[in-house]
Amino acid sequence: MAIAEKWFPLVESAHVIALATVAGSIFMVDSRLLGVASEKLPFTYVSDRLLPWTWGAFGGAALTGTLMFMGNATTYYSNTPFRIKMLLLVLAGLNMLVFQLVTFRGVAKWNSDRPPAPARAAGFISIALWCGVIAFGRWIGFTM
Amino acid sequence: MNLKSTVHWLTQTPLSQTIQTTSWAIPGIQVVHIICLAALFAFALNLSLRVAGRGLAVESLASLAGRLVPAIWICVGILFLSGSLLIIAEPFRTITNPVFYLKMGLLIVAIVLTLRLDHVARRASETPSRAHTAVAILSMLVWAGIIVAGRFIAYLY
Repeated sequence: MAIAEKWFPLVESAHVIALATVAGSIFMVDSRLLGVASEKLPFTYVSDRLLPWTWGAFGGAALTGTLMFMGNATTYYSNTPFRIKMLLLVLAGLNMLVFQLVTFRGVAKWNSDRPPAPARAAGFISIALWCGVIAFGRWIGFTM
Repeated sequence: MNLKSTVHWLTQTPLSQTIQTTSWAIPGIQVVHIICLAALFAFALNLSLRVAGRGLAVESLASLAGRLVPAIWICVGILFLSGSLLIIAEPFRTITNPVFYLKMGLLIVAIVLTLRLDHVARRASETPSRAHTAVAILSMLVWAGIIVAGRFIAYLY
């Protein structure tokens, strides 16, 4: 079910809109986690309202990404920036998982205050990884 | 001086030459541009959601807009700077390209709509009117349109 060449620009544009929503919403949640924005709002309130957008848009990004990949699979597969981007996505997922399973357990204690160091670390790492995903994603276009 | 000669002149400037010949410069500036548009999109989305009475609703519209709108303007500033460098580096992709002017037209519309939403928010009526919600939705469509036009610059120059 590869997309025809003529659809690539539109699928790619949809991918950018989706990634803007994913990364942008994550930046906002991470800013709260770092304690530099929305400090007056409880962390769980911010994440509850924003993360559904993150996940929904991630579905769109994954779908459009898969469509683009399938149009030129073998070339993307052996493209180094593409591989690094996929690795960074996995790392971002792992970072989220560790935060969810470990750090988040004690959230009641810091929900309305400045989050503890492990939470702030998760926020910082998340921002760094997602900037990396964007950077290597853009780099793919220069190396295809 | 017409558009084509402007392109030619720009391409010869030292700044343009420097960016063109530094291998990581154009991709790097584009990455800054994309990261910034992602932040802007999320700020704009949350402003629009709040105007429509949703999103971070526990915070007053006036207070949230007071945080998000300045952040949007900062992003517009960074996008303007990074965009300007990209134009200077490769003026043939934009200055003679109708799609670029479409993007700039949409940008003006987005800025006007954001000013409107800011004005609405500061008069602090908590019940969203249908008209205000329509402006909020329209502004998101225009920001999305700017993203599409931005991508299409590369395909239609």
